[in-house]
Amino acid sequence: MNKKRIIVWFTIMSLIISVVMIGYITSNGNLPKVEASQSKGEKIGPFKPVSGLPPITGPANFNWRQYAGVTLNFISENTPPSSALAANIKEFEKATGIKVNIQQMDLGSLVQKVTLDFVAKSGRFQVIYADPYQVLAPHYQHFVDLNKFNKDPNLPHVPGGLSDFIPSQLQACGYMGNTSKLYALPYDCPTMVLAYRKDIIAKIKNDFIKEKGFDPTPGPNMTWEQYYEVAKYINEHAKELGVKYGTGHQAKQYDSLMCDFSNILAAWGGDYFEKKDLGYIGSSNPGKCIINSKQGIEAAKFYKKLLDIAHPGSKSWDWNGLAEAFAAGEIALAPEWHEFASMFENPQKSKVVGKVGWSVLPKGPVRSANIYGGTGVGINAHASEKEQKAAWLFLIWATSPQSQLMILQSPVGGETPTRKSVYNYPTVKKAMEDPTSPEAKKMPNLIAMKATLQAWEKENVYMRPKIPQWTQVDTIVFTELSKMLAGVKTPEQAMNDIKRAVDVVTKQNK
Amino acid sequence: MKYKLIKGIFSKKGDRIRRMKNGKDQKIRIRIRTEDIMLAPSIIVLIAVSIFPTIYLLYATFFNYMGSVDKPVYIGLENWIKIFKDMEVFNSWKVTLIYAFVSLTLETIIGVGIAVLLYTIPKARNIFLTLWMLPIFVAPIVTGLLGRFMLNSSYGLYAYLLNLIGIKRDLLGSTGSALLCVILMDVWEWTPLITIVVLAGLEAMPTAPLESAEVEGATYLQKVWYVMLPLASRSISVALLIRAMDVMRFFDAIFMSTAGGPADTTKIIGLRLYEVAFRFGDIGYAAVIGISMLIVTTLLGRIFVKLWYSGGGEYSA
Repeated sequence: MNKKRIIVWFTIMSLIISVVMIGYITSNGNLPKVEASQSKGEKIGPFKPVSGLPPITGPANFNWRQYAGVTLNFISENTPPSSALAANIKEFEKATGIKVNIQQMDLGSLVQKVTLDFVAKSGRFQVIYADPYQVLAPHYQHFVDLNKFNKDPNLPHVPGGLSDFIPSQLQACGYMGNTSKLYALPYDCPTMVLAYRKDIIAKIKNDFIKEKGFDPTPGPNMTWEQYYEVAKYINEHAKELGVKYGTGHQAKQYDSLMCDFSNILAAWGGDYFEKKDLGYIGSSNPGKCIINSKQGIEAAKFYKKLLDIAHPGSKSWDWNGLAEAFAAGEIALAPEWHEFASMFENPQKSKVVGKVGWSVLPKGPVRSANIYGGTGVGINAHASEKEQKAAWLFLIWATSPQSQLMILQSPVGGETPTRKSVYNYPTVKKAMEDPTSPEAKKMPNLIAMKATLQAWEKENVYMRPKIPQWTQVDTIVFTELSKMLAGVKTPEQAMNDIKRAVDVVTKQNK
Repeated sequence: MKYKLIKGIFSKKGDRIRRMKNGKDQKIRIRIRTEDIMLAPSIIVLIAVSIFPTIYLLYATFFNYMGSVDKPVYIGLENWIKIFKDMEVFNSWKVTLIYAFVSLTLETIIGVGIAVLLYTIPKARNIFLTLWMLPIFVAPIVTGLLGRFMLNSSYGLYAYLLNLIGIKRDLLGSTGSALLCVILMDVWEWTPLITIVVLAGLEAMPTAPLESAEVEGATYLQKVWYVMLPLASRSISVALLIRAMDVMRFFDAIFMSTAGGPADTTKIIGLRLYEVAFRFGDIGYAAVIGISMLIVTTLLGRIFVKLWYSGGGEYSA
């Protein structure tokens, strides 16, 4: 055998062995490809890895219990992921010896408590549910730059890397003003889509098409004007259809009203400020308020018209009230946060189990706009160095792909993940593809995921402005909208008054 | 001997000296009595928790905290001028006054009525009183939640009953009914307080005037109107004083049920203060609103104290 033949044989054998090994690895549980996060010298941490997902790793000699005895206070909105984490917190506490108190409350109270904590610089809450608009934007200086920990060779890093987060969500939840500092990691991702009663739509379909000339089934091609017609038609046939009203909304004088209206505003091509794309990285200088533009006023007129035929309870419902009414079978159509899918499929809480379909929100003259309401978790800069490092371990665990999968499957909560790797996980993929599959029944939030993924596409998603003055702007917007819906002000007056008040607020904070 | 302080003079040692009428000076020894020492801790605590914050509140009114809470900007009287021009605050005061007037009127009528009834029933008074008192033990925040629950148009009991008689509107979502609903929540919770104070007054009332009225052949209503109510007028004014001052601070139930909406129809001044302070971060302006609430509450208190002193129903046991 000459030298040339030996080289050829060696090359062929190497190729065969490589192909066999790759085949073996990829066929083992049909695992998806994930970004390699376990770099040289890294060791899997004390958390049981889930095959197919990037594991939680740390430096080879890293002592995961070095912060044992530290107590962390995690202040969070009362959302499903926090309930799921609270139910499984023993796993983290046992592995690290760090005690975590999860305090859950409504968003308004959270904003108030966090603001006071930052003002007092007490560091009482070491881990903070950082709503990008009401917490991060006005108080980003009080958050630790997480790059400090993520780039520290002596500490564990984000499992799967930052690139495993959905990029737009990382931008919205993690940064403020520029991307030089990372303040929070994406934690949850509720997005507004349309929940509708499949059974009601099926009942009216033929007659409706005959009468109105278009299909009433919600989908990417439906317009808001068509939605109005469908809702009105259901109102007229409510008794025979077994619902009270066609549409319901979260139009209480509260943050929910701003969210509900923003979908219409953006669909009509309107926005809050003249500076574009404020929703991702955000800015301290949004420019002038343009809500009273022609598009803004037209959107307000349509919103008023729509609310006039909506369930009268709409004006006293926030997102919870709307979800309860929909689950009680009172309304057939509801623009709602997709995370309520699990509630609608829970027989203990819902009369409409198996009857709910999901779609992106209807289109306006310009596009379909679906407001994103995701949040990150960050670390309080006023906490001690030791607490900050302990909090970093908690953040790594809480936002890891395996915890996101656990949250998704949790019977306590159920929230859709912020990680690409979890969406590529075989059972998750299967549940998204087939809403009737046993996997989908185990993870009911995924029933709304097809519509939600469509809603996250750049041309469909709406990110509200991320500016330090957003809490004030939000209050002005929902108060004036409430006056408009009550008939105290016309749409023109309400939009002009919002513009006037918002311009004062943004100038004051310059 | 009477001394007249002509001029405060201090000797080199720091003793206070009084000059007497005859021109001679006399040393006055400043004595620290035992009661002064015993009162000192409470005075120190009072200064720390009440007087200092009030002074700081006043100080805060001259600054703008919106740019930075750490480094407020001095703006002089700007916040004070703003409150006189602010139509939103004016509207909140209007809502507060309507809210206070209607709820106090209803609570007084019902509370006094129930107190008189309880006073006159011969048996099982304590059982009825205990049952009547139950709402007081409910935290106001729970009252708000309860109200929201009962009036919920999907599953609320009251909403269901109203639906049966043809009222289909959402009571907490309509401008015409939301304020009435929160007033009724307040009435439900606090009327028993009026009852208990007035009943205590009736219990302490001398029986002689009532017996005389009975001998004179007065009817039950005449006895209530001409004897019991005049004699209980001081207790009524005390109950009103407590409730009037309380009503100004009312916040929890409205915050939980309507959050000030719809269209600001239930945004009482306490809610406006919360919004300005914690949502707008305008601590300086919130301090001005807070002081205006303090002034109004003090004035109301003065009015009721005056009423109490001038009450015709003074009696002695």
